[in-house]
Amino acid sequence: MTTSHLILLIEDDIQTRRFLKSSLNHRGWQTVEADNGKTGLAMLNSENPDLVILDLGLPDMDGIAVTRRLRQLSDLPILILSARSQEQNKIMALDAGADDYLTKPFGSGELHARLQALMRRISRGIANQEIFETGQLRVDLTRRKVFVGENEVRITPIEFRLLSILIRHAGLVVTHRQLLQEVWGAEHIHDQHYLRIYLGQLRHKLEINPARPRYLLTEMGVGYRLAVDDHSSQD
Amino acid sequence: MQSQQPHKAVISGALPLKSHLPGYVWGILAPLACTLIDWPLRHWLGPASILMTYLLGVFLVASRYGRGASIVASLLSAPVFAFYFARPIFSFAIHDLENIIGLVVMIVVANVTGSLLEKSKIQAELAAQREALASALYRLSHDLSTAQDHDTVAQIAVKHIHDEFGVASMLLNIDAENHLQMPSYLALPGVDLASAQRIFENRTAKQDNNFGYYPLKGSRAWQGILIIQAAQPFPWQGSELSAFIDTFCHLIAQTLERLQFAAQAKEATLQAESEALRNALLSSISHDLRTPLTRIIGAAGTLIESDSDLSVAERQDFNHIVLDEAQRMSELTGKLLDMARLSSGEINLHPDWNAIEEIVGSALNRLDKHLKDRPVRTVLPDSLPLLWIDGVLMEQVLVNLIENAVKYSPAGSPIDIGGLAREGSCRLSVADYGPGIAKGQELKIFDKFYRGIAESEQSGVGLGLALCKAIVEAHGGLIQAGNRAGKGAEFVIELPLRDPPQFAEPEITGSLS
Repeated sequence: MTTSHLILLIEDDIQTRRFLKSSLNHRGWQTVEADNGKTGLAMLNSENPDLVILDLGLPDMDGIAVTRRLRQLSDLPILILSARSQEQNKIMALDAGADDYLTKPFGSGELHARLQALMRRISRGIANQEIFETGQLRVDLTRRKVFVGENEVRITPIEFRLLSILIRHAGLVVTHRQLLQEVWGAEHIHDQHYLRIYLGQLRHKLEINPARPRYLLTEMGVGYRLAVDDHSSQD
Repeated sequence: MQSQQPHKAVISGALPLKSHLPGYVWGILAPLACTLIDWPLRHWLGPASILMTYLLGVFLVASRYGRGASIVASLLSAPVFAFYFARPIFSFAIHDLENIIGLVVMIVVANVTGSLLEKSKIQAELAAQREALASALYRLSHDLSTAQDHDTVAQIAVKHIHDEFGVASMLLNIDAENHLQMPSYLALPGVDLASAQRIFENRTAKQDNNFGYYPLKGSRAWQGILIIQAAQPFPWQGSELSAFIDTFCHLIAQTLERLQFAAQAKEATLQAESEALRNALLSSISHDLRTPLTRIIGAAGTLIESDSDLSVAERQDFNHIVLDEAQRMSELTGKLLDMARLSSGEINLHPDWNAIEEIVGSALNRLDKHLKDRPVRTVLPDSLPLLWIDGVLMEQVLVNLIENAVKYSPAGSPIDIGGLAREGSCRLSVADYGPGIAKGQELKIFDKFYRGIAESEQSGVGLGLALCKAIVEAHGGLIQAGNRAGKGAEFVIELPLRDPPQFAEPEITGSLS
């Protein structure tokens, strides 16, 4: 990564901040730090970062409230850090507009995979991409055709909509609520069984072994994630 | 409980015994009968003999009907004798001193025998009643001695009170805060819980509005209240029966207290057991957390102290030790937290419709690292229905089971995962090709902190399977461990099926944006 992006790090634990900062700097990111929500929100204007890493357990503000405020102020990618005990908050923060999450403790490998996916979203604009490719899977978004290897796979309009939403967030988690709302509308945001059925069908069409998927991954209790292998999207 | 003849209202309320009316009728009839018998014989019998027949009549009446009737008989005998047999005949006057003395003696004898007989009769009846009471108490205490819970005590008490007194009743137990609890069944209509509570707190028996309230006092604490329904006035008020009711109540209170003590003893045992469990946890944790900690501290210390002496490869090696061991500790603490959450009884299920294939896939994805050299064979028919389960927890169950299979079977051997829908339930299985489960351990392995081999190289505090069991049972399901013939261990989960969810929108209406 040649361009140097600026990450705003909102995290109250100084040791975690130190580890994050050093790991991020090592990979070529610039960082600015805030140890509470208010300072973090203020730095959004003063520092003009490219991405925000936000800890959900801040001393002064509710992490979900910070997320909402960040979303009101900007369209920046937001990565959430959550502890195990904050499962429900994590989902609420994702629904409030955060782009992805990491559960503590996490390794730097996971952190950088997430950041890459987030940066891909802003720098490449996958939504405007014509062809999406990962592994054996190739999706022609303008012609609405899906291929596994050389073979075209026929998928239904709803399946295609689900797939295109996941492609738009490739590498990132998409919550049940987001998917249900976008495909079926607000009145169906609790009908998770729709997703179970359609994602199951999609897996049977796209995966070699649907019981051990490579592309359409489940984040239990949160949503779905379309896996991307890091090389296919580099060019 | 032995079978008993129904004792239909053995004990009546009022003691004195039969209606007096027939006694007085006989008191009148007896002298008249004596007169009829004596009249034809008056020429052969002296007045003394005739008096004797009257005396006999009075005596018979006294023996049969008690003092009142005998006095009537004797008082009637006197004028009749005077009129018909004592000179001058057909006049109430009596001239003979002998006859006057005879009459007086007769009246006195009648009086004395009457009251004597009545007394003995009352004694006999009292004795019979006391015996009835004693046997009633015996039956009650016999039945109560078999009671194992408060509901049974209430049932026995109500049944016995009905059998002995022929009245309805209700037993209210108290909860931990000394509040009376309405029984879910056998409730008397019209009883007001608030007023019962008031009387219970006053600690004295009270009659009020067709209900008798009897607070039950054990040897240490008040146990509840017995409420008896009977028409006013209470037949046993102030009589010997009131003491009997007290004894009845006392027996019930003692039984309730016995149950309370038993429960306390059981709780103490449980506490001791959980104490033992805590100790097992501590020793387990101290082993399983100390091992990785020792390695981390050692590796990190070496990295700091002899940084310059280490080759790049060595440094890498020590770094990896720190990372790997820390990850192991992270997994372990995660499991401990899960277990703590589950065993504290606050399993908060968040069930929703979930596909088994998806949960299996997610579990396998999480275990990717551990499954590198393991072929995983999944047999999950497309026809498997959606299950109404907590996806996160059920994924944890599968992760634990698969992890377990990896741990206890040879490297490179396959792992089989199967699913099968049956009538009303869904069967999930995870099986390996290891040595299997030792005989007799099929249940034990689900115990907390149980490990096949104590202090073995295997990490984990023996919480994985206990967690699985807790989660599956919270879903109303079953988990069992066994061996497949000639293969290895197999864990089988049975989960209940629900009616499948409705789909409001058919695929056709979905349009491309």
